[in-house]
Amino acid sequence: MKNSILIVLLGLSINLFGGGPWPQPKGAGYIKLSEWWTVFDQHYTDSGLIDPNLTTGVFNTNLYAEYGFTNRFTGIVNANLFSRNFMNNLKSNTTGNTIVPGEALNSVGDIDVVFKYGLNQPSSKIPVAVSLTLGLPTGTLGGGAQGNLQTGDGEFNQMIQIDAGTGFKLGKFPAYFSTYVGLNNRTENFSEEFRYGLELGINIIPERLWLTSRLTAVESFKNGLQSGAINSTSIFANNTEFTSIGLEANLEIANGFGLSAGFAGAIRGEIIAAAPSYSVGVYKKF
Amino acid sequence: MKNLYFLSTLFILLLASCIGDDFIDDFVEPEIRILNPIQSLETGSTYQIEVLYLNNVGEQEATEFIWSSSDSNIASVDANGILTAVSPGVVNITIQTQLDLDILDTSFELEVGESTIEAVTSIQGIIETTTFYTLEGNFEINETANGIVIDIDETYRASSNLPGLYVYLSNNRNNVSNAHEISRVDVFSGAHSYEIEDVSINDYNFIVYFCKPFNVKVGEAEIKN
Repeated sequence: MKNSILIVLLGLSINLFGGGPWPQPKGAGYIKLSEWWTVFDQHYTDSGLIDPNLTTGVFNTNLYAEYGFTNRFTGIVNANLFSRNFMNNLKSNTTGNTIVPGEALNSVGDIDVVFKYGLNQPSSKIPVAVSLTLGLPTGTLGGGAQGNLQTGDGEFNQMIQIDAGTGFKLGKFPAYFSTYVGLNNRTENFSEEFRYGLELGINIIPERLWLTSRLTAVESFKNGLQSGAINSTSIFANNTEFTSIGLEANLEIANGFGLSAGFAGAIRGEIIAAAPSYSVGVYKKF
Repeated sequence: MKNLYFLSTLFILLLASCIGDDFIDDFVEPEIRILNPIQSLETGSTYQIEVLYLNNVGEQEATEFIWSSSDSNIASVDANGILTAVSPGVVNITIQTQLDLDILDTSFELEVGESTIEAVTSIQGIIETTTFYTLEGNFEINETANGIVIDIDETYRASSNLPGLYVYLSNNRNNVSNAHEISRVDVFSGAHSYEIEDVSINDYNFIVYFCKPFNVKVGEAEIKN
């Protein structure tokens, strides 16, 4: 679940040129290599309040790729090529001795395969697309002496999502707005989830610089096992909820090649890290 | 070349994800702990007092003890902590140990009389959360033939959303590295018990609930008379 959440947050940074309700044109594509990370020493509890925890970090190196098989049908792969999950040493402030040594787990993370289909013409005033996401549990669970490190959630999930959006002028700047809702069905006694999001993008410098703000939310149906009962020792094991906001800048350098940087953070949550996440990446449109 | 710069940046970020240090405040006042305190001792009988020294993180350390009685005509104590009840009356028994710079001591009042009565056989207390996770309840500890039993009553409630919630007996409320692990918590409401062998009612100061995978204390209960 932790990785699922991380990937959801990562998803905040992948929609600009290929996401939302706009499928890729036939033969066109978009590829992005990025690093996403968060380090947190506090988390939202099951009551939505914030408690401390041992400092934990997750670093993900992701490859995201879209390709338009037709003008309406796009295939997407979001692969976590390398994931590092670590926890700090716990030391005594009195003696300086190490009480619990820190640990790290490095492995391939989970992979999402997405099939997106435009329900109307992408050039429509309000394009609408549906997508099916298959979450493959290729990451690792139960790393470390306590089994509390993980680079994947260990469950196969499938999500149906519908996106809609529109382009418009915001003052003198080209802009777009998109929104989505999705249902995420999960296996291994994990709870189902309702997901939704809003996105507003502004083309500050024509064909050069886009600024994008996003709101993303996950609401758990809490119909699976309690977090403590799942055979995962992560505090993000199950029933996680959050609402996050994020900002991202995408700067196109030349010939479809560009740089992106962004951050996001939960403004409310349950059983999730209470710290911002960051991402940097390079992309290429073709 | 741009890709090289980017890969270099990724590599730097990965290096930045090295394991660091978190510190916990785990200081406790050092103490001499009497494991089998006694209220009164029958005239003419003997009793072995068992003690241990707990350092500033609640960890047992070997040390030399110095024993003394305020009136050896009523009760005497030898270098090994064996009390001898001589004649009826009340005395103070003192136990000392030399630390680096100080002398640490503790004492108790002993009545010499017609019977031998141990001081503590039952303790009651309250479990309280130290976080925003639900954890509460009342408990009672009683000695058994083989150890102790902790009876937690029907007021008990605990969040089931914590992975790896464990309960310990500890002499440090913030550190369970030297604690006695009782069990993983699998009861989240209502009365239940833990039977613990080879542990005395005076061995530990706290019941501590820890989220073991994340080394975070969730709640505690003080064990005191």
